[in-house]
Amino acid sequence: MPLIETHALTKQYPRVLALDALDIHVEPGVIGLVGANGAGKSTLIKILLGLLPATRGAAQVLGMDVNTQGREIRSIVGYMPEHDCLPPDLSATEFVTHLAEVSGLPRTAARERTAETLRHVGLFEERYREMGGYSTGMKQRVKLAQALVHDPRLIFLDEPTNGLDPAGREEMLDLVRRTGREFGIAVLMSSHLLGEIERVCDWLVVIDGGRLVRSGAVAEFTAGLGSLEVEVEGDAGALADALTERGFEARGEGFIAHVALNGVDPYDAIRDCIVEMEMGLVRLEQRRQSLEDIFRPEEPEAVATSV
Amino acid sequence: MSERATGSIYDLGYRRYEGLRLGRREATLSLYVHGLRAAFGLGRRTRSKMFPMGLGLVAALPAIGYLMAAAFIDIDISDAIRAEDYFSSVFFFPPAALMLFLAAVAPELLGRDQRYATLPLYFSRALSRREYALARYAAMATALLALTLGPQALLFLGNALVVDSFGGYFKDEWRQVGPIIGSSILISLFFAAIGMLISAQSPRRAFATVGVIAPFIFLPIISGILVNTLDNFIGRLGVFLNPFFVIDGFTYWFFDAAPDFGDGHPLIQADFAGGWYFFFALVVTALGVALLLRHYGRRSL
Repeated sequence: MPLIETHALTKQYPRVLALDALDIHVEPGVIGLVGANGAGKSTLIKILLGLLPATRGAAQVLGMDVNTQGREIRSIVGYMPEHDCLPPDLSATEFVTHLAEVSGLPRTAARERTAETLRHVGLFEERYREMGGYSTGMKQRVKLAQALVHDPRLIFLDEPTNGLDPAGREEMLDLVRRTGREFGIAVLMSSHLLGEIERVCDWLVVIDGGRLVRSGAVAEFTAGLGSLEVEVEGDAGALADALTERGFEARGEGFIAHVALNGVDPYDAIRDCIVEMEMGLVRLEQRRQSLEDIFRPEEPEAVATSV
Repeated sequence: MSERATGSIYDLGYRRYEGLRLGRREATLSLYVHGLRAAFGLGRRTRSKMFPMGLGLVAALPAIGYLMAAAFIDIDISDAIRAEDYFSSVFFFPPAALMLFLAAVAPELLGRDQRYATLPLYFSRALSRREYALARYAAMATALLALTLGPQALLFLGNALVVDSFGGYFKDEWRQVGPIIGSSILISLFFAAIGMLISAQSPRRAFATVGVIAPFIFLPIISGILVNTLDNFIGRLGVFLNPFFVIDGFTYWFFDAAPDFGDGHPLIQADFAGGWYFFFALVVTALGVALLLRHYGRRSL
């Protein structure tokens, strides 16, 4: 069963077309939803949760229709909004317990799950303190905990690393990764930072201006797009020329040559060339291209069209 | 696994929840209980308790005074305070305390969730918007019921103490129990509908509080002018603009009693049958709740 499926999903706000006939099909896993600010990420999440009605089109979450089975969907998914959503005069324990009960857990179970979940996200003694005094990192943890407390099958995380410092960002990403891999809960995480998505997600959905740009496994995006870094004792430029003659894409400078790995196997050729030219091979390292390298040229355009 | 290394401090293994999952009724109920506790500031800091508890005390003050007098002073004060007069305009401050309680609590119940943006957390759970609004409304009405029914119970107890024979008093006066409960419930539902509908309009606490108090101050003034200056049917209809008079109207009708107002009193001048006030209060309550549900149904997040 697909995790999320949409057909020609459209959301028209009075002045903005937020989603434009969006077709998405993703299987369970950790899914990254990428797009510039205003690309329609939050709108899509809200429609999938049934918080917003779609203007046209259909959407299914875990095989259930968003329009007719909103309640069933919401009972087995969790949602971590992008914005601040915690009352400052309650403790994390009180607040998360209350929300667990609203999710249908009996009182004692709600208390137990709250204690467990807050521990999982890394909140200990602080959980009895009023949340008004929490740091941004702690608030984000509580927000994640309330999304997880009723043990959902899928959680929607809207920009979970927003406002965090680099260390906090790292910890939050680690939590998201563990949620997906160890807890076995499917995750749909939105972010405008490709680097985060790449480190955490195994499936990527790129939207821009409410339209699908690309959807595929993260590995697919980067596979075959890497390059091989060859460090030699000798003239790397000459090595690159020799490889180019044999039909490979290579360039070299100083002691380091780069050989493209576009579905070709240059290893034997590199060995032969080095032997022929009587150089010493110091290092042979595969460099995977990052998602940011792939999308960087499109970014400025994406910002311009998604307003 | 590499991710274990960094997460090891709090990595005690995730357990799935296989237990019971209750339905929408229990979810709504828990929201209702949470709201009711919040209405009196229970489980919150002391500052949140002061206003609601204090106003509750004010509303009960005549009954408490009466009860003490009945217990310690050896003169016959039986029926010095009648149950039907308790929340009528005869005594000014119990109904005024109710109104202030409403103005303090209703914005707290609805405004907090808007102010702190917790609404999406509720609406993304298996709880409909209607259920949310109804649970909040019910919490407000129940909190008011504690303020209306509580003093009445004390008063009843006081009267029973005055006449010495508790069982005898109850046997004579049991007919009052129905009207006491009935009028208390309707006062609570009526006030809660007005206060919650107004409070839903603004997340800002101060605005909502002023917004709730305003009609209780200005409508009676307009009502008084209409009734006293326009000597016709339209003028008489003005009496319904005063929420306190509406309460008077149906309460005396419930008790089948006549108010001790002078001839110049607008309620006497307007001269509508008590049933009309009852009907009017029901319509306003139903309308208020319907508009509240519609407000939350349409709210965009």
